[in-house]
Amino acid sequence: MIKAKRNTGLVFFPAYDWAISPTHPEREERLLYTQDQVMEEGLLDVDGIVEYKVRPASYEDIRRVHFCVPDEEAVTTQSHLIAAGGCLVAADAVLKGEVESAFALVRPPGHHAMRVVHGNRGFCNINIEAVMIEYLRERYGVNRVAVVDTDCHHGDGTQDIYWHDPETLFISIHQDGRTLYPGSGFPDESGGPNAQGATVNIPLPPRTGEEGFLFTLNELVMPLLERFKPDMVINSAGQDNHFNDPITNMNFSAGGYATLNAILKPDIAVLEGGYAVESALPYVNVGIIMAMAGIDTSNVKEPNYDMDYRPQPPDTTRYIEKLVKELQGLFLEDKLKRTAYRAGEIIERRRDIFYDTDMISERQHENIRICGECAGAFSIDSSSSRRRRIFAVHIPRKACSACSAVGRAWFDSAARSGSFDHLFLQDRSAGTYERI
Amino acid sequence: MILGLDVGGTQTDAVLLEGGKVVRTTKTPTGDDLLETLGTAIEKTLESVDPPAITRMSFSTTLATNAIVQDRLEDTGMIVTAGPGMRPEWWEVGPSYHVVRGCLDHQGFEALSLDRQAVSQAASSISGLGISTVGVVGKFSVRNPVHELQIAGMTKDRFSHIALGHRVSGLLNFPRRINTTYLNAALYRTHRGFVDALNQTLDAACLRAPRYLLKPDGGTIELNRSCDNPAHAAQSGPAASVIGALALEKCSGTTVILDVGGTTTDMAVVVEGMPFLETLGIRLGPYRTLIRSLLTHSVGIGGDSEVRHGQNGDLRIGPLRIGRPCAFGGPRPTPTDAMICLGLLNAGDKGLSFKAMESLGAPLGLGVKEVSGLVLEKMADMIALSAGAFIHELNSRPVYTIHEVLHRESIEPSSCVVIGGPALQVAPYLQKAFGIPCRVPAHFEAANAIGAAVARVTAEVTLQADTHRGTAIIPELGMEKKIDGRFNVESAVSMAMEALRSFACEGNGEESNEVSVSERHVFHMIRGYSRTGQNIRVKMCVTPGIIREWRRL
Repeated sequence: MIKAKRNTGLVFFPAYDWAISPTHPEREERLLYTQDQVMEEGLLDVDGIVEYKVRPASYEDIRRVHFCVPDEEAVTTQSHLIAAGGCLVAADAVLKGEVESAFALVRPPGHHAMRVVHGNRGFCNINIEAVMIEYLRERYGVNRVAVVDTDCHHGDGTQDIYWHDPETLFISIHQDGRTLYPGSGFPDESGGPNAQGATVNIPLPPRTGEEGFLFTLNELVMPLLERFKPDMVINSAGQDNHFNDPITNMNFSAGGYATLNAILKPDIAVLEGGYAVESALPYVNVGIIMAMAGIDTSNVKEPNYDMDYRPQPPDTTRYIEKLVKELQGLFLEDKLKRTAYRAGEIIERRRDIFYDTDMISERQHENIRICGECAGAFSIDSSSSRRRRIFAVHIPRKACSACSAVGRAWFDSAARSGSFDHLFLQDRSAGTYERI
Repeated sequence: MILGLDVGGTQTDAVLLEGGKVVRTTKTPTGDDLLETLGTAIEKTLESVDPPAITRMSFSTTLATNAIVQDRLEDTGMIVTAGPGMRPEWWEVGPSYHVVRGCLDHQGFEALSLDRQAVSQAASSISGLGISTVGVVGKFSVRNPVHELQIAGMTKDRFSHIALGHRVSGLLNFPRRINTTYLNAALYRTHRGFVDALNQTLDAACLRAPRYLLKPDGGTIELNRSCDNPAHAAQSGPAASVIGALALEKCSGTTVILDVGGTTTDMAVVVEGMPFLETLGIRLGPYRTLIRSLLTHSVGIGGDSEVRHGQNGDLRIGPLRIGRPCAFGGPRPTPTDAMICLGLLNAGDKGLSFKAMESLGAPLGLGVKEVSGLVLEKMADMIALSAGAFIHELNSRPVYTIHEVLHRESIEPSSCVVIGGPALQVAPYLQKAFGIPCRVPAHFEAANAIGAAVARVTAEVTLQADTHRGTAIIPELGMEKKIDGRFNVESAVSMAMEALRSFACEGNGEESNEVSVSERHVFHMIRGYSRTGQNIRVKMCVTPGIIREWRRL
């Protein structure tokens, strides 16, 4: 009988009764063949691999992260709550010490969902990793968290949520935004004024293969983690870098994903995208589960690997080596240009956000207070093409008294102004969440 | 009249039933020779009964279990095809295990053709050891048995018996398929020999009624047919008790069935008369299998368990049974001695029981009655605690649809049915410990044999149709049919129903109305953004239950 070297929790929720639409990639059978492969391999019989039952997350879990417009009920379905809840079950299993690590194989995904949610972006409504991370902090007092997003698409939602948080290191490895949705995720996106350098984007060129991913992991990601010293490492384990994926142009493989996972050793992995439901997901997921459990993955291979896997072209290798060297300089050798701000100063940011799935355009005006003592309070004035305008205030965990006071003052004055459909206050420090 | 027998580790129980009533129950010590034990028990039970009056005979035996536990399995070779994933060498079983190249993917498409030369080499090396029985198993063979069938075709002249992996179950689990196929092959000759001998014994006694064996899922299979999958009739004892309790007591709501024995208490949970099943299959000795089984849980506390002092001055019961109770000359005090001292049971040498309980109570400053009461309370508490953990586990079973997350109610038992030797004595204590009514049915002491007698024939079929590939397959029955684009889930249900009926029918066709569809899924297969076909999955079974002849009355 095979025994896991590391006890591993598995939360499997394929949501066989939910789809965005009948032919949408995010549909009922997305994890069907993965389940077939996992069952046939007998992984659940492995001593040390434990399967957990999902539970739905609560609206309160979501309020720690999001401003849902007009409210949580309007932008989520039961499926979203259960996918997020699956991550919470994984978190509980690890933090209670029942397992060393856990994999939440749930759908729908979440890493394109930003802090303000007007609808669905990139198949995502709520950010399931962020809901889990804030739960970990609230419930278990976890402090420093690193998220390594290995989905082929830039994890713009997670980046947005942690843009201002110096205690969350967000690293995204993805196909270059000039060639793929959502078109962001460049090295100069490196964190807000209070969290400069806490966001690291690694845009890899199309056709990056096993060696490029593993090179980037070993030379850049692992040293970044060593430097940041997180309490926990979360892997947003998207699987669309796969050479069989229909909507991307990368050349990664199941064996590569397994090796990546064995090196990264995330405390919790969460499934994100990946739509080669028959030819990639079954093998990638089996590889990840085995790697997490410390089982030899050298026999994990797609049946068409020998025929269809394309080794990385030499010019791609050279490009990646150059990119990694630049990023090493910026983030490991402190060559990142940091802007010096004055404490108490308010920095503005204006931007437009497009929700591709729901065809919504959002315009945001954000103000953040520069603070040397905490992550800084910020406010967001957001209006959408659905003709709703909201004002939202975030007061960070461990907020200093000045930021708490400023945040509350913003909220009160906006409430008096009468120019908003809804007002939100997310006081992570006091643990209070208000919506008017 | 119906004859039922349950062969236990130490004792063989038999019953004779007629018109919904128990005509006779007998107990026979279980000897080393199973056939002899059966012969004695049958003779004893059928004394002065006219053989043609017997209309049904059903047996629950320990044949396969003993062969496995005592390591008396026939040397069996294995030929396995796998492909990528977990390494097939990890599942090595038997003295001559061979992995040959060849691979099917999860939809049954051939990704790598079978290495015929390697098959020949494996077969030579197996028969070179003088082995004449083989098991042939492929990964995903339940989706497409082509490689297993090719191997069987190539090697059928070299071996006297070949067991095929796709015939053991429709479930996906390659390592368990290997184990189950191995056991089916390795048990075949022993089982066949037993069935032939039993047939002869019964023929000689002019007992010509239909003959059945009980399976661990609480259903029966026709005796001769059991040779197809001999391992499927292993370890049916716990199922006999559960079905017996269902036959004796109306189990509405959620019921815990407690079978209190000498060494252990076995339990099962039944919801509206339907017992829970193992997710995948039973574990036989070291082998995890795909053999459908009732979900039962065993705790090491019974009437003959050892009672001793714990380190904190409390009492400990079980999990060991050191010998018989003191009343029967045993070395250590037991709950049975406590029952004797409390006047609940009139058996053995009361004086010895008193002496044992006296010395058990003395260090605690308790008299004989007090400490005896304490022993039984403690015993009931421990059983209740163990049942609580069992039910918690049932409630923690994963679910895969939103509907189930939101609507599946958690299991909360509303009553217990207590059977087994000391049922009457412990039931009041159990009632207090569980906090719900605990009933003891009539004939509680022969529930297991009654269960064996009245369990109906069960079977299950798993149909998977792929309209894109144009095939529908029911692996358990070795059925593979071509289908066209008009095939839909209704066609799948009726195809599975027909197959199940022809297999599980007990002659009068009564089982057909007990068929339940346990899974019914249709997935659209999509390439790009357009539908190319349907992936239809239907699972249907005749659920465990009681034959109509008994229920009617």
